[in-house]
Amino acid sequence: MTWLEQLRNSRFPILAISVLLVLLVAGLLISVASERAIREQMAREAGAQADLLASAVSGALAFGDRAAAQDYVDAVQVNPNVLAAAVYDERNRLVASFARPGQDIPAVARPRDHATTLFRDGRLIVVRPVEQGGQRLGTARLRLMDDPPMQRFMRYASLILVLALGALAVGILAVAQTALMRANRELADQAQALRDQIRDREKAEEALRQSQKMEAIGRLTGGIAHDFNNLLMVASSGIELLERTTDPERRRKLSEGVRQAVARGAALTSQLLAFSRQAPMKSAVLDLRGQIEGLRFMLERSLREDIALVIDIPGDLWPVEADAGELELALLNLAINARDAMPEGGTFTLSARNLAGSAETPDAVRLEITDTGVGIPEATLSRVFEPFFTTKEVGRGTGLGLSQVYGFARSSGGSVEVRSQPGAGTTFAITLPRTRKAPPPAPAPSAGASDRESGGAAVRRVLLVEDDDGVADSVGQMLERLGLDHVRAETAPAALALFEADPAFDLVVSDMVMPGGMDGLTLARTLHDRAPTLPILLTTGYSAAAAAAGSEFPLLLKPYRLEDLDQALRTVAAGRGA
Amino acid sequence: MRTPERPFLVAAIVLGVLAGPSAGPAGAGDDLEYGVKAVYLVRFAAFVEWPAAARRGADAPVGLCVIGQDPFGPRLDAAARGQRAHGRPLVVRRLAGPAPLDACDIVYVGRGAEPMLREAGDPSGRLIVTDAAASSRRGMIHFVVAEGRVRFHIDLRAASGAGLTISSRLLNLALSVQRR
Ligand SMILES: Nc1ncnc2c1ncn2[C@@H]1O[C@H](COP(=O)(O)OP(=O)(O)OP(=O)(O)O)[C@@H](O)[C@H]1O
Ligand SMILES: [Mg+2]
Repeated sequence: MTWLEQLRNSRFPILAISVLLVLLVAGLLISVASERAIREQMAREAGAQADLLASAVSGALAFGDRAAAQDYVDAVQVNPNVLAAAVYDERNRLVASFARPGQDIPAVARPRDHATTLFRDGRLIVVRPVEQGGQRLGTARLRLMDDPPMQRFMRYASLILVLALGALAVGILAVAQTALMRANRELADQAQALRDQIRDREKAEEALRQSQKMEAIGRLTGGIAHDFNNLLMVASSGIELLERTTDPERRRKLSEGVRQAVARGAALTSQLLAFSRQAPMKSAVLDLRGQIEGLRFMLERSLREDIALVIDIPGDLWPVEADAGELELALLNLAINARDAMPEGGTFTLSARNLAGSAETPDAVRLEITDTGVGIPEATLSRVFEPFFTTKEVGRGTGLGLSQVYGFARSSGGSVEVRSQPGAGTTFAITLPRTRKAPPPAPAPSAGASDRESGGAAVRRVLLVEDDDGVADSVGQMLERLGLDHVRAETAPAALALFEADPAFDLVVSDMVMPGGMDGLTLARTLHDRAPTLPILLTTGYSAAAAAAGSEFPLLLKPYRLEDLDQALRTVAAGRGA
Repeated sequence: MRTPERPFLVAAIVLGVLAGPSAGPAGAGDDLEYGVKAVYLVRFAAFVEWPAAARRGADAPVGLCVIGQDPFGPRLDAAARGQRAHGRPLVVRRLAGPAPLDACDIVYVGRGAEPMLREAGDPSGRLIVTDAAASSRRGMIHFVVAEGRVRFHIDLRAASGAGLTISSRLLNLALSVQRR
């Protein structure tokens, strides 16, 4: 704490007091000096008057002219400050005098040989010898009024007044400053209290929002369960039928139906996760053209044969920053909505263009999704983004699709709008801010086991860590389909032991939540410590676990398809050693 | 500012004060009168300035000479005792017979001294004081008794002619001043 701060914080403003003290001392010194000067001046004036009287009266004194002496003495009366005047002869006998009432004149004066000036009892007494040609003739004496205290006080009254005013001003300033300081402190405290309140309220509101969402989800569990039952129904019956038929065409249709049911189930859970905001958002710099081209296959699957898919995206589209999975889900939701809105078929168009910004609005990319469907009536247009708003029958829609689109647009720093006319189709426009960051290198194109080598060393042997036998089986088959050998470990410690015994693995795929005292993340870290270049892919169906993994290791969310696994493996293998 | 009337009483009191007890042969009136005149003679020394040429030396005393008959007796000696004028002591000289006035700065002309004065010639540098009681002839200062009080006339022209300067304070007290 510096002295300045101390001074500012002290309740008593020392500066003010010292200024006041200096003022007082200066005032006192000035008073004393001026008092002395005034007295000197007075003594000088009285002395001059006495000198005058002494020299004038010399003749009268020398030749005994008492009347003349009296004339000279009387002349002194003109000065109102003179209380008494007298002329004494050589032997100090009174010759002439005058006295104001109350003043007495001694008939014989105390002998004084020299000029004398003295202040006594509030009187100024001046004695001057009367001399002529070196002869002592007597003395002239004056008694003057020294300034009475009242007069002296009046003389300094103005100074005292100014000082008092100064003191008053300093005092007021001090009090005001103290008050101001206190007020400031109180204000700061209040502001802090207000901030605390706001924070608490925000927290409470956030909690409320979350709980409302959860409540709504709870209410909808029934509907979702219904959806899932339907899907499971489709899947199980499809599998049953698959086992009973050998007709390749029929088998293909059945497996397609099962795959669609599973896809819908996956989309449903993703949507729920996205809605409850528990899914980790992983924004990355995206090249929308490439991204959407990559989705073409999936979009075609989501639409029906009687719907044409048109993708119109220029090559010089600016990159944006968003979560690729969310984008994919949003487009999927929009495609499904469009499909539902075009029971008679139509066209689904995905177009994009750059929106050059101005001083206020930054550059952005506008993505338009248009269908030629039934459109949305004016009355419901403003509600379509509301969570759980749906016009679809139970089991066909949950009302979360556009809510996810909205959430995606907002969390990516953009916005979404809808334009529609009943019977004339609907257009959703998503605006995403342009990013200045460089887009990631284009992923290696095409598929096939042999291409895996392009990312670096060839991946041939995978360590699969998975506690669930069913999942382990199906993932194992997927790995086989991708042309990879694998060894399975049921727990993390088992995997560590395996790796210890034989570290010749090119890649590790590990579930995150497992029994055995060690989870996938810890395993991944341990393995990474032992072999920093070993690529590790974590998989999980738990959003909490996914959040825990963060961006430390690549993550693949369950359930995933063969393509997803393939893509993830490529990415992981390509990132090896990077 | 002054009136010519001066009560004798005042002068008498002053005299009593200044001159002290008298031991002279004259009566009470004379005693007072000559006491005052003696004091006046001493005072004149203070109110008159002599030309530098008249000085007989820096410390030479002021010579107070009585020529002719001496009416003062010891009163003059008493008045001059211890007195100084212009830093010089006063010395009383009595010149009974014809004698040079070389050591005289103030000359009181007593009865029968006129021939002596005439013989002395040039009065330059000397204050000649005459007395109506002794002769009718007027010197530079001429004592008279007016209304019972010792007063004097001043002949400023004669004094200036002799190179003397008389203080205005003395002139103010004179009954008359003869100017040029
Ligand atoms: N392209 C569209 N054409 C006409 N109406 C649409 C379109 N997209 C959405 N809607 C209307 O908005 C509602 C809300 O859509 P949203 O995607 O949020 O939910 P949903 O499709 O009903 O259910 P979910 O997508 O969760 O399965 C829909 O029920 C539908 O009435
Ligand atoms: Mg929908």
